[in-house]
Amino acid sequence: MKAIVIGAGLGGLLSAARLSQAGYQVDVFERLPITGGRFTNLNYKGFQVSSGAFHILPHGPSGPLAQLLNEVQADVKIVRSSQTVVRVPLKQGDPDYGKGFKDISFTDFATLLSYKERLKIALLIVSTRKNRPSGSTLQAWLRTQFKDEWLVKFADSFCGWALSLRSDEVSVEEVFEIIENMYRFGGPGVPMGGCKGVIDSLERVIAVNGGKIYTKTEVSKILVENGRASGVIVGDKTHEANLIISNLGHAATASLCSEVLSGDRYSGYLRMLETLKPSAGIKICLAADEPLVGNSGVLLTPYAKRVNGIDEVTQVDPKLAPPGKHLTMSHQHVAPENVKNLDSEIELGLKDLKEIFPGKKYEVLLIQSYHDDWPVNRAASGTDPGNETPIPELYVVGDGAKGKGGIEVEGVALGVAATMKKILG
Amino acid sequence: MKINDNCVGCGQCASFCNKEAIDVKGKARTTAACVECGICVLYCPVKAIEVSL
Repeated sequence: MKAIVIGAGLGGLLSAARLSQAGYQVDVFERLPITGGRFTNLNYKGFQVSSGAFHILPHGPSGPLAQLLNEVQADVKIVRSSQTVVRVPLKQGDPDYGKGFKDISFTDFATLLSYKERLKIALLIVSTRKNRPSGSTLQAWLRTQFKDEWLVKFADSFCGWALSLRSDEVSVEEVFEIIENMYRFGGPGVPMGGCKGVIDSLERVIAVNGGKIYTKTEVSKILVENGRASGVIVGDKTHEANLIISNLGHAATASLCSEVLSGDRYSGYLRMLETLKPSAGIKICLAADEPLVGNSGVLLTPYAKRVNGIDEVTQVDPKLAPPGKHLTMSHQHVAPENVKNLDSEIELGLKDLKEIFPGKKYEVLLIQSYHDDWPVNRAASGTDPGNETPIPELYVVGDGAKGKGGIEVEGVALGVAATMKKILG
Repeated sequence: MKINDNCVGCGQCASFCNKEAIDVKGKARTTAACVECGICVLYCPVKAIEVSL
């Protein structure tokens, strides 16, 4: 059996590793000269900045991605980060970090609430396990339950960091799925070698299993025969296959077989594709001689104007920066209406960092933004249309087709695992 | 080099530029150090860079 994978991003390579392990003859076609997509390292002035996602697995060594890597026997070490902390103003009620701040543990967020509201949270933790809230955004649901704006700030910073969405852009169902996964799989971890550590390990698996990866190779068309995906066209050459996995997201995949999909029976699918919205974000990479965060845990910053969270990856793997240097990355969600104002969004982020790290010396190494055709997520979390397409033997994986409750690359892994289950049983 | 509206500002081009001739802030811009070698064109994920002749 022959499988073709379009795109050598994380979803594509995970699929190629699993299929080649199961005995498929696998070819991966990648348009760019490098593999890994938005989940690899870029060497910038001696620092291993990431091409997209942070050098983080949201559920660390026991999450869905780590499990899938283990299943395909990929050899990569994932180190659990220390506890996520939340930076809050020193004096409760202050609007920002200007007059000092303290860091509290992520799980202690409720200590900032009144006794009455803490009691309410305790009750909700029990009652929502049986009756999950549904039918509204996280923010709208929070506002029906609590009067405290702190919870909305906290939710915005968590959703911004984990999903690149505001709490009024994500459904309460999706967030409860995520909370469930946090209980089930635990907190974040860092792969040794960063994102590329994972990509390299997958490439070794694919090579050992006889699979081939072709870079600088652009697929121009997906072929459909008798209603089933049957191959692809690269240049002027046809490559036949029994199975096609696309790592390009649903919309770009559909455009590779637009003639077939123009028929009436596919109009529902095409209409659904138009509703998918990519999520946008900005990552600011800082270089410093001294640690800025000081530990390997994620630092959430709900009282910053734009920055949602920060991670200092060199706390786990010092090789991600030149000797003696630290690499610290901040992430900020960009609201859809602000994508056209990226310059001012970046300025707000830079100003936040000055307030978050007062008196610290650092250099702004690189500012990276993601939106539209190279976004944070091709489909905003919770809106993924799944991995199947209307064309049998054509599946979509990657950040445009994740599993429910899957944060970032964990969602990519859940989507690939679900796809492989459908194919391999 | 001409950088078109496809550019999202991901900085991938800057990391492969041998001359450190690309600044990125919301969008990529080439500096006077650019020698028009065209390496960045290959690495752009959104086909935003065109060699200007």
